[in-house]
Amino acid sequence: MDLTDIGASIRIAFTYFTILYLTGLGGLFSERSGIVNIGLEGLMVIGTVSGAAGAAIFAGPAPEGMGLGAGGVVLGLLFGALCGALFASVHAVATINFRVDHIVSGVVINLVAIGLARFLSFVFFEQATQSDPGGPHLARLDIPGLSDIPWGLGNAFQNLSPVVLFAAVLVFPVSFALYRTRWGLRLRSAGENPEATRSLGVAVAPLQWQGVLLSGALAGLSGAFLSVEVVLNWREGQTLGLGFIALAALILSNWDPRRLLVAAFLFGFAQAIPLRLDDAPLISLLPPQFINMIPYVVTIVAIAGFVAKVRPPAAAGRAYEGAGGT
Amino acid sequence: MSTGGATLPAPRALPPWLESAVGQGLALLAAFAIAVSAGALIIILYGENPLSVYSAMLSFAFKDVTSVGTVLSIATPLIFAALAVSVCFKGGLFNIGVEGQFLVGMVTASWAALTFDFLPGLLHLAAVLLFACFGGMVYAAVPGILKVTTGAHEVVTTIMMNGIAISIVAYALNGPLRFTKAPPGQNVDLRTDIFEPSALVPDLGHVFGVGGSAHLSWLFPIAIVASAIVWFLFRRLRLGYEARVVGSSAGSARAGGIAIGGVQIKLFLISGALAGLTGMQQVLVERGALVQNYEAQLGFTGIAVAFLGQNNPIGIVFAAVLWAILSRGETALQLGTNLPREFVIILQGILIFSVVVVYQVAKRRLARRELQRAGAEVGLRDTATPEDEALQEA
Repeated sequence: MDLTDIGASIRIAFTYFTILYLTGLGGLFSERSGIVNIGLEGLMVIGTVSGAAGAAIFAGPAPEGMGLGAGGVVLGLLFGALCGALFASVHAVATINFRVDHIVSGVVINLVAIGLARFLSFVFFEQATQSDPGGPHLARLDIPGLSDIPWGLGNAFQNLSPVVLFAAVLVFPVSFALYRTRWGLRLRSAGENPEATRSLGVAVAPLQWQGVLLSGALAGLSGAFLSVEVVLNWREGQTLGLGFIALAALILSNWDPRRLLVAAFLFGFAQAIPLRLDDAPLISLLPPQFINMIPYVVTIVAIAGFVAKVRPPAAAGRAYEGAGGT
Repeated sequence: MSTGGATLPAPRALPPWLESAVGQGLALLAAFAIAVSAGALIIILYGENPLSVYSAMLSFAFKDVTSVGTVLSIATPLIFAALAVSVCFKGGLFNIGVEGQFLVGMVTASWAALTFDFLPGLLHLAAVLLFACFGGMVYAAVPGILKVTTGAHEVVTTIMMNGIAISIVAYALNGPLRFTKAPPGQNVDLRTDIFEPSALVPDLGHVFGVGGSAHLSWLFPIAIVASAIVWFLFRRLRLGYEARVVGSSAGSARAGGIAIGGVQIKLFLISGALAGLTGMQQVLVERGALVQNYEAQLGFTGIAVAFLGQNNPIGIVFAAVLWAILSRGETALQLGTNLPREFVIILQGILIFSVVVVYQVAKRRLARRELQRAGAEVGLRDTATPEDEALQEA
């Protein structure tokens, strides 16, 4: 093991950071509006299959695809986001309009997503569990300056997907929207005290719908990034519980987009350990199967250690009676 | 805010328990009708006849006694998994970790099967089943204890434990439990040694003329007994009562002097023990060893079955059988129609969603009726505001 490995691990961590940050931001919008969303994993799954399909349709070579190049890949990623949002609307209907328990609905979302993904895969690719490998993707970037750091550490900033940068700079507009706009204030107040929000003449249900749809779009985009930009094809089960790790990062961040940036990177780095740091000192003493457990153990330890220090949105998970429906 | 109770018809003079039973039955029928019609729509889009597709699925499940036996043996692990989910759910806990608990149960049971092979006859099997429960229990204790001591939400911790369990099985198969006795000159897929016959659950199907291919064993009646025990636990024992209080209102539980943490940990232990038995159908009936390409996802299917059976131990048995009929219908689809087999998964998904939503609606209606009746009894009409309703449900 040398510094090159560390550089490479950080690059892998950037990739996982992107997945966790996009999904975590999705969860943030939903939970800040008062709707707990543990269906993030399922929304990501839908994003992986539909994103891969979108990229194949818009950017694939001419006979089947439209051959739109980089623009086509972006359209494919957006298609993943759109499908994620569509699927999230099921969660919105169930929790906001029918006031089904948020966790029950989220669990069902995750269960149904697996089957729906197979069905969609059959529709898109005529095979149920994967698409053809090596799909179209965006050109890789080297970050000027940083990628020239010597001793192999510059490795971390070479050959990155543009989506990684997009996710990282997303912290600015999201923080602005959440803390500096009227919409953000209303969204947060819906999650803290919907009755008070209503009493000020602000309709709660539309805000919560927006929160849930945003969570679907971001988780879908995250899934699409995973299949289109990272793995280069769709495979069943490729989300590997990352939606739940994003949820853990969200809890650790105290539902704040800036702290989520750090939490997502730390969890992303834990993901890189089995992949690149398995021969590091101490770690290499473990049997390989135990090294694979590290990201999960890190998540459990972090949650158990920090959960008492955070405070979720006060009304998250509670059915709001004024939301309409029966 | 809807129009409240004012537009509802006046409460009929049915006894409350009957009204509740009728209401729930109607809700189930409605949910079923919604799912079947939505499925029919998809079938029509595929250019097939819904009636013939549904009847093909049903008749395939019931075409002979072996087929029925197969349905019951598919249902067996689902009953254990769903009971495990429901035990926690009654106490307001979401044990999404049944998947991991059942994987660990398979490992500990396999270890016991290989280690206690000196025990005679049924004692060997009893030891194996005990260790299956024990493995699931220990594994479920971790998220339970973390929940009670640190407040870490069980949904996140149990999911992470599931990821760890996959590596535990892989470690066991590559290390301590790896087969030692391979037939000479043959390549063997990664597995444990084949268990002694005394560790296996005896076949039950042959008594009823069910073919051996159905793998219907004594595990099915054991699953029924387990569901009866869970029913007894929640209806007749103090822990069951305490669990229901904790699950419906932590505030009343605290006021009533119930040690919430203790109840939650006990529920996780019972749930884990049941989860541990989930893998026994494949390990002790179908394979006679723990193999690398084991059937996974049973724990997650258990969640779906538990919701479908509305977390009622009896409902779960029927839900598991229904689920098994649908799963077996996949083969019928492949044989007789142009529909992709994934249609069944979609149908199952629509079914759970409509059950969850319709039950929620029905529950609120029934609660509202209850309030109206209570109001009528004290000489008031329509005093039930949505806020009261929320309080009652909380």
